[in-house]
Amino acid sequence: MVKGRHVSAVAKKDLRGLANEKTILFAILLQLFVAMFSSFLMVGLTAMYDPSSVAGYSRVQYPIGYSGVDSPLLEILESRSDLRVHQLELSTAVALLRDRQIAAVVYVPETAPEAEEPVKVSLFTIQNDIQTAVISQKIRESLITYEDYLRKVRSSRLSVEPTVLQFPETGANASFYEFVYGLLIPLLLFMPAIICAALVIDLITEEFQHHTLETLLATPVTFAEMVWGKVIACILLVPLQAGAWLVLLTANGIAIAGVPQILVHVLLASSALILLGALIALYYRERTAAQVIFSLAVVVLMIIVLAIPKNPFSSVVSLATGTSGPGEWGVLIVAAAVTAILCALTHLVASRNPV
Amino acid sequence: MSNLGQVLTLARWETKRSVALAGRNILPAAIILLILLGAATLISSQSGIHLQSNIYTVGTDDPEMAALLASDPRFTVYMGERFTLLRNRDAFDITVVRSAVYISATERGTAAAVALERVHDQYKNYLYSREEDLFAAYPLWIDLVPVMSELDFSAAESGTRVAAPPRRGPLTLPEGPVAFVPPPDPGIGMSVEDLRTGIIEAPDPALPIFRYTGYVSGSEATAPYKTPSQLSPPLPFDSIILVFMFIFPLYFIAQFFMMSIMNERIERQGEALLSAPVHPWVVICGKAIPYAIGMVIISAAIIIFIRGSPELILPLIPVMLFFLSSGLLIGLIARSFRELSFVSIFFSTCVTAYLFFPSIFANIHVISLISPLTLMVNSLQGEGFTAAEYVFSTSLFFVTSAVLFYAGATNFREERLFSHEPLTSKIIQFISSGISRAHPCASLFSLAMLTVPFVFMAQMMLLVLLFNLPMPLSLLLLLVAAAGVEEVAKSLGLYTIATRFPGFLTWKTLVAGSVVTALGFLVAEKLLLFVTISQIAESAFGTVLFSSLGLLYIPFLIHLAGILVTAAALKKGGPAAYLPGIMLATLVHCTCNLYLIRGWIW
Repeated sequence: MVKGRHVSAVAKKDLRGLANEKTILFAILLQLFVAMFSSFLMVGLTAMYDPSSVAGYSRVQYPIGYSGVDSPLLEILESRSDLRVHQLELSTAVALLRDRQIAAVVYVPETAPEAEEPVKVSLFTIQNDIQTAVISQKIRESLITYEDYLRKVRSSRLSVEPTVLQFPETGANASFYEFVYGLLIPLLLFMPAIICAALVIDLITEEFQHHTLETLLATPVTFAEMVWGKVIACILLVPLQAGAWLVLLTANGIAIAGVPQILVHVLLASSALILLGALIALYYRERTAAQVIFSLAVVVLMIIVLAIPKNPFSSVVSLATGTSGPGEWGVLIVAAAVTAILCALTHLVASRNPV
Repeated sequence: MSNLGQVLTLARWETKRSVALAGRNILPAAIILLILLGAATLISSQSGIHLQSNIYTVGTDDPEMAALLASDPRFTVYMGERFTLLRNRDAFDITVVRSAVYISATERGTAAAVALERVHDQYKNYLYSREEDLFAAYPLWIDLVPVMSELDFSAAESGTRVAAPPRRGPLTLPEGPVAFVPPPDPGIGMSVEDLRTGIIEAPDPALPIFRYTGYVSGSEATAPYKTPSQLSPPLPFDSIILVFMFIFPLYFIAQFFMMSIMNERIERQGEALLSAPVHPWVVICGKAIPYAIGMVIISAAIIIFIRGSPELILPLIPVMLFFLSSGLLIGLIARSFRELSFVSIFFSTCVTAYLFFPSIFANIHVISLISPLTLMVNSLQGEGFTAAEYVFSTSLFFVTSAVLFYAGATNFREERLFSHEPLTSKIIQFISSGISRAHPCASLFSLAMLTVPFVFMAQMMLLVLLFNLPMPLSLLLLLVAAAGVEEVAKSLGLYTIATRFPGFLTWKTLVAGSVVTALGFLVAEKLLLFVTISQIAESAFGTVLFSSLGLLYIPFLIHLAGILVTAAALKKGGPAAYLPGIMLATLVHCTCNLYLIRGWIW
């Protein structure tokens, strides 16, 4: 029979150990570090793909050189407020580009719009430079407009007409919505689960490898109570860490819907993972082997779980974006069932005499 | 027996032991899991990754559009009659009625519109690429011509902003004749079918992960011409894949090594090894060699698998050494398994970040070269790297690994191995074994020198982190953070003395200690700068980090002022006053630096 008092005593002991060693501080540091780098990634990549999103760039005009024959492309480029087009002779233009007085050179050949041949535009840019990434993105948009114009001129030669979609001009920018909600949030919320499962392996194998188990079992605490105490200590850490993430993300201006349900999903999935870790640790009783097998198992599990159309990750995404449906409850029920089975299995293994 | 022979014997033992362990316990389960991994990958390639399923809702009256969108798992599609849809269009993220798109005014609506546009582009591309007359469907082709700029690396602007601000005002035309650039040939010079397969096989820029398959099969289509929609900035996904493929196996092997070191410490198992008449260096080398060989074999196997050039292994070697040396130290310092796990996870995240984030900008900025991974990206892209670039991006790794190995070897003795003390006091212990009581000044001097490569690494990391923020803010933050890092590094020696041998610290020794620390720091800084950083040092950021290339006495005085402030705080208030002391020293340091660079920043 498992006594709650003993279980909580073991759990308290392990949590106190964590607090004493300040290891949990490292976990929090780790979270902050990842958050910092994610924000770096966000700012950096947003700036790269959409330079106008960085304040101060919207009014900046990039000088570019245009050479070759006059074409509608010249008008398209000139109509942009963020480009200043200089018509130059090609050699001069390239020399100015080398001198960094202009950011790019566009050369348009004499090919007629309605010709059989394609129009081959040459785009000269500076190699290995971040400004090139910005400028090519701007010129790309103009080139796409020009491509549409040329396609219209040559449309009689096309056999199929694709459906046209007319998008309204919104000006709003949401290029990172999918990254934040579809990748960052599930990643950050399930990271504590993996950390805590690795932790339970350490806690259990340590008792075996440091031979502290005998001492522990000499007390009224049974082996099963010891295992449950450790499992519960680790499970208790999950909502703490996941909650910290939710607070951090909200503080960063990322609105997250359905927080209570998200926490339930994360808690159930992490419990399953922690129990799996405990089972592996009980089988191997040795840290290196248990950790290696557990890491491999996590990778396999993740791939399989993500291949299922409805899974805890996609549920968290749906809940966070506020698009959840009845499917999420199904996921919850299955996760609860899996956790229950693992609970029973852990109890079965832990009830056997370890020595 | 010679040293080499002893090393080899130990290496053989270590291999036997770890192979026995792996064979008995891990191998059967690992093989089953690897088979499962294969099966799982197969399943996932069949059913796709379901992470962002059904996050957008679309209402449409067009069955063709509905079928198109239903093929993308992100969309939940509702078919309906036109007017009903329009009346209820707030219920959907996007509503497509008679080719007109209505977007709900939420963030999700905007994101859904972006996704819709991409799907629609893919659909158009699918149709166009099968047109009989390819040049009617794709009338415009772009020939990208890279131009080398002489100002490239050394331009002050090149490190300052995401994009250097363009000059205002009229252009100054070059005087005298310029190098003649022949007008490009208007002909495309390629068969239509080659271009067509180029388009069909070209990975969709909206799905960057597809570039991965190009790498692994080694057949990335490098069409000389691109259509306008294929012109997109280089994406960082290559680097992510590289990290997954190369760095993770290294990390795993380093874990084994760490654990092997830790095992020696459990229950005093390493006693026998310590009582053997061999030098700690021999023990450490013997234990590390099998893992180093394992790392090389795995990396070589991966390189052969992706059919990369053999030179790819070169940038990995310093990374391997770094992983091993830090694994040694973590294994020696950790008190318990959980501490080992947390410290190693934290540490490897930092290293992975240091390796990964600069390499995102592999094609864009010279800053990216501080990561050896960038060399690999360049090499995979067929550009290769020069010896100078190799030295630039790997020297910090080599030097720090050497320092870490040295710290491990001097502390590989009984009283360090079998004591269980908190992390910080253990680190202080480790440092204290580097301080000789007979020659404290010489010790402090060399200790200060040894911290410099780590300081550079930390500052490089800060540089990468901060160089994306808007200009004055990023410089200011960098200034403060860099000064803080330097002050902490310089204070390590005196802090150790203050806590371990408090009686030793008189005002006289304090001043002497500060002077030699500042001197050691300065000498090492200049030496390392001379070897490596000259490229970055010329940009505006470099000026902030290493603001003192010209005159030597000014940086010396700044360093001295900083360390004196910390030391005085330690002397007055004991260890409790350390933190305020560091803050004050950072403030002093920043003020001096600000004064120095003021002349041309503001």
